[in-house]
Amino acid sequence: MREWVAKHRWEAILIVILAITIVVNVALSPFYLGVGNFINLFWLSIEKIIVVIVMTFVIINGEIDLSVASVMGFSAAVLATLHLGGEVPFGIAIVIALAAGALAGLIQGFLVGRVGLPSLVVTLAGLIGFRGAARVLLEDRSIGDFPEWFDRLGQHPLVGPIPLALFVFFAGLAVAWVTLERGALGREVYVTGDSADVGRYSGIEVGGLKLRLLVTSGLVAGLAGVMFAARLGSVRGSLGEFFELDIITMVLLGGVSIFGGSGSMLGVVLAIFTVLNIRNGLGLANVDGIVQTGVIGLLLIGSVLIPNLAQRFGSRRVALEAVAHGPS
Amino acid sequence: MTAIKRRMRRLGLLAVLVLVVAACGDDGGDATTTAAGDTTTTIAETTTTAGEEPTTTAAPAPEAVVITGSGSITSTFLPKCTNIAVFPQAFEGSEEAATELGSDPAEFVGPADCGDATGQIEFMSNAVTQGVQAIMVSNNAGDELAPSAEAAAAAGIPVVAWDSPIPSAAGESVFIAQVDFDETGVVMADMALSILGDDGGEFAILSATPEAANQNAWIAAMEEALAADAKYANLVLVDTVYGNDVAEDSVTAALGLVDSHPDLELIMAPTTVGIVAAAQAMTQEGLCDQVKVSGLGLPAEMAEYVESGCAPEFALWSFVDLGYLAYYVAYGIATDQIEGVEGETFVAGRMGEYTITADPTRDAGLRVLMGPFSVYNAENPGT
Amino acid sequence: MNREATFALDRRGSSWLRPERVKELTLLGIIGVSVILFGFAVDGYLSGRFFNRVTTSVVIVAILAAGQALVIITRNIDLSVGSVVGVAAYLTGDFLATNTTIGAAGAIGVAMVVGAILGAVNGLLVAYGGVPAIIVTLGTLAIFRTLLALYSGGANITAASLPDWVLGFNQVTVFTVGGFEIRLVFVIAILVVLILQWAMSKLRWGRRLYAIGSNPEAARQAGLPARRLVFFAFVGSGTLAGLAGFMFLARAGTISATAGAGLELESVAAAVVGGVSILGGSGTIVGALLGAVLIDTLKLSLVRVPEVSEFWRDAFLGVLILAAVLLDTWLQRRFTRRWSAEARRAEGHLTAGTGQIRPVLDGGSSDA
Repeated sequence: MREWVAKHRWEAILIVILAITIVVNVALSPFYLGVGNFINLFWLSIEKIIVVIVMTFVIINGEIDLSVASVMGFSAAVLATLHLGGEVPFGIAIVIALAAGALAGLIQGFLVGRVGLPSLVVTLAGLIGFRGAARVLLEDRSIGDFPEWFDRLGQHPLVGPIPLALFVFFAGLAVAWVTLERGALGREVYVTGDSADVGRYSGIEVGGLKLRLLVTSGLVAGLAGVMFAARLGSVRGSLGEFFELDIITMVLLGGVSIFGGSGSMLGVVLAIFTVLNIRNGLGLANVDGIVQTGVIGLLLIGSVLIPNLAQRFGSRRVALEAVAHGPS
Repeated sequence: MTAIKRRMRRLGLLAVLVLVVAACGDDGGDATTTAAGDTTTTIAETTTTAGEEPTTTAAPAPEAVVITGSGSITSTFLPKCTNIAVFPQAFEGSEEAATELGSDPAEFVGPADCGDATGQIEFMSNAVTQGVQAIMVSNNAGDELAPSAEAAAAAGIPVVAWDSPIPSAAGESVFIAQVDFDETGVVMADMALSILGDDGGEFAILSATPEAANQNAWIAAMEEALAADAKYANLVLVDTVYGNDVAEDSVTAALGLVDSHPDLELIMAPTTVGIVAAAQAMTQEGLCDQVKVSGLGLPAEMAEYVESGCAPEFALWSFVDLGYLAYYVAYGIATDQIEGVEGETFVAGRMGEYTITADPTRDAGLRVLMGPFSVYNAENPGT
Repeated sequence: MNREATFALDRRGSSWLRPERVKELTLLGIIGVSVILFGFAVDGYLSGRFFNRVTTSVVIVAILAAGQALVIITRNIDLSVGSVVGVAAYLTGDFLATNTTIGAAGAIGVAMVVGAILGAVNGLLVAYGGVPAIIVTLGTLAIFRTLLALYSGGANITAASLPDWVLGFNQVTVFTVGGFEIRLVFVIAILVVLILQWAMSKLRWGRRLYAIGSNPEAARQAGLPARRLVFFAFVGSGTLAGLAGFMFLARAGTISATAGAGLELESVAAAVVGGVSILGGSGTIVGALLGAVLIDTLKLSLVRVPEVSEFWRDAFLGVLILAAVLLDTWLQRRFTRRWSAEARRAEGHLTAGTGQIRPVLDGGSSDA
């Protein structure tokens, strides 16, 4: 136990924070404990957290994708446009919308992986450009009236009280977890993220890896866009706007280094759970949206700062023991 | 006007065009006349509907229910966002109503930024989880809010929309309309006319975001109004741009308009953020003599520019009253004093008597029409 | 840009045409070309009026980008600047409403002090708290904004509450050449950039900032006061964001609790388009200014092309930024290749990446 904590300090801290959050939420709100609320808590942010999974790979690889929210909007706009046109069966339209997301990723991946431009610059341009593309497609319109089955999948539970979106998230998470921490691809992502040179010397095709990751990121963002369209029942050009910083916040809170090479899926999952529970708890306590964001901001800084300070003032053992004996 | 309706209108126009083009082959003249006639009829209908509204409301109904205090209710007052001055004002109105009715005030929560169009869904869902007895919402999305409103309705919570309705009315009990949306178009057209004079001139619209449902409806209504009456014939709408309800973007967009259209004489901004930014931009660049600003604005924010003559005239309704009326209706439904059905008449405290009618601006849904518009100018700066 | 090569070439001092300067000239060239191209597309575009528009509108992002460059060069980032602008604008507006007589210098002083304090919070947490800059400033981006929202209680600063000179501040003109007005705010922005640029290249602390960003570990081992320098880089960025906040107040007139949101990404975009490497250690303040000017010129120009509909503008802007970066990278590489060839001949040990830009493993002692 102690060994695990020593090795996984960040995860241990997050477990403590999560536990505190849950206790506080239970104490503060009688509505918090309930199957419906727990499902809601995921469902309300499902598109963001699906993208968080893939963003984890991108950031561990030492890159970033700021365009995800715009690509979500772009894919959803493609879907809506095709639906409005009425010539393509809706199922095919979904496939094309997903392909549009992947294409967005491919363009950016090519510029990063093959041309060698920094991903920050490319995806900043993508953030502006793909949002622009969504606006070009939809202008000032709001497009809805999707097939009934699509709305139902997006807005109603599938099995028992659980909607399809949650299955997608947890299935995606499982695949991602295994890939990152057990698979060859995962190792490549870590090695290259730590040092592109080491990656290159150990025979990893670094450019190709970046390209594949950004294509996947685009595809998953596209999927998130389509899912969001289903949950909302209609699409506008602004769909998903400003999600990128929330998504990156969750990845970083999960202990993933922005410089690449380190971080774990467990940390990210704990960060997701923590952020969602805090938002939910504060929401049920009628705390305003802007204050919720501030609390997450405090948490983000505090979760790094407090252990740092504890360490500096010589109480390292105390801090670690406190963590080890926490309610985990 | 819902987005869907706008789309239908567009499709309609398109169909008319197609007809004209198609007919031109055999008998052009005839087809054109018919098409033009069609358009006029539609607009005439709309105008009539708008004209009738006040009469319906004013009609005395003997069975009016006087909404009175009968215990405290829990409720959520959900604005589009909390950072635009009109929304806290509306909440003040609801607090006033709650005090009169002896109820706890509603919880005032919402997204920080109006750019976050789908942020309201989370607050709506939380309200349902909390089991509040009423939700009052100014819808910032289109029908995106409908699924969560339906969830609220399914849980037996009345959803009273104010300021901005749910287009499909799904899940919505009733919409408290500040003014008739078609009337907004007429009021804006009249202000443009009074500023530009009968000789007219070029003007442009500075809106919020491209998707903003209220603004889109008002712009569409204004375009209709312009086309419907010959007195507006000299008013030429040259452009519509968006400032995203962000001060900086709106300033940039306003200056862009002035540069792109050298003969521009008026910027019409149907948003309280856009109008003040446009007025500020014109003032700063010394363009006030050349380009005037009008639209929907908050008197406190516009006082400076009314005085300087940069914004000679603008309009708005009372957001305090709107919040007050919304709370009365929500309270009335939540305490079973009214049912929220068509034809029902009730008395809402200091504001008097209102009737619930079918909403003529949407395909479905009920409406309580508040009104009136207040037009502000140098004689009546409103501050 | 290959920063090790930069240092090597710096030491050699073989040419005034150093990579940074080429970068700046390229950007200037790209700005020139786009202005000429837009000149064909828009009537009356090449006029004093458009010049005045750009020089007035760009100052906010330009000043932020200069501060952002200062921080990025140390291998950090400041994502909180948008919130700092909002807080500084709001508090200064609030202060001016009750202290109408403090004058321009006083108001700018207030704004800059507010910015400096917030920058110091960031700096403390990053330099002395050991928290990565992106985490700190993502956090304070939210926290500063939250505090402002709580302080404002939903009330806005309105133009009516401000002294008249504030609203006209951005239009104060120093001198006019033809229709071209050289406005005070633009002069301030240029002065800020030039002074910083000079300090960064001529003063010891400026060069040290590059050294820290280039190789933080080596800089620490060499005994540089890395913490203090990083702290002051953040204070600098905050102070400049405060200055930008005052200009924002003067430009917008009405300030809400969300004023300035989104400026953080605009300032990062300006800096990186201007050639400031996100990995630290390379780039110039003038480059950041040119990046800001380029993006703003493209943005304002697109608004004025009648053929480009409102809905196409962002799409075009994204493509144009990419095109500018691509063109710039291509030109850079041509030059870098030529230089590295020369450098190899001269020193025999410098290599430069061709496809990828990779660090030079054996030439990295320059900054230690």
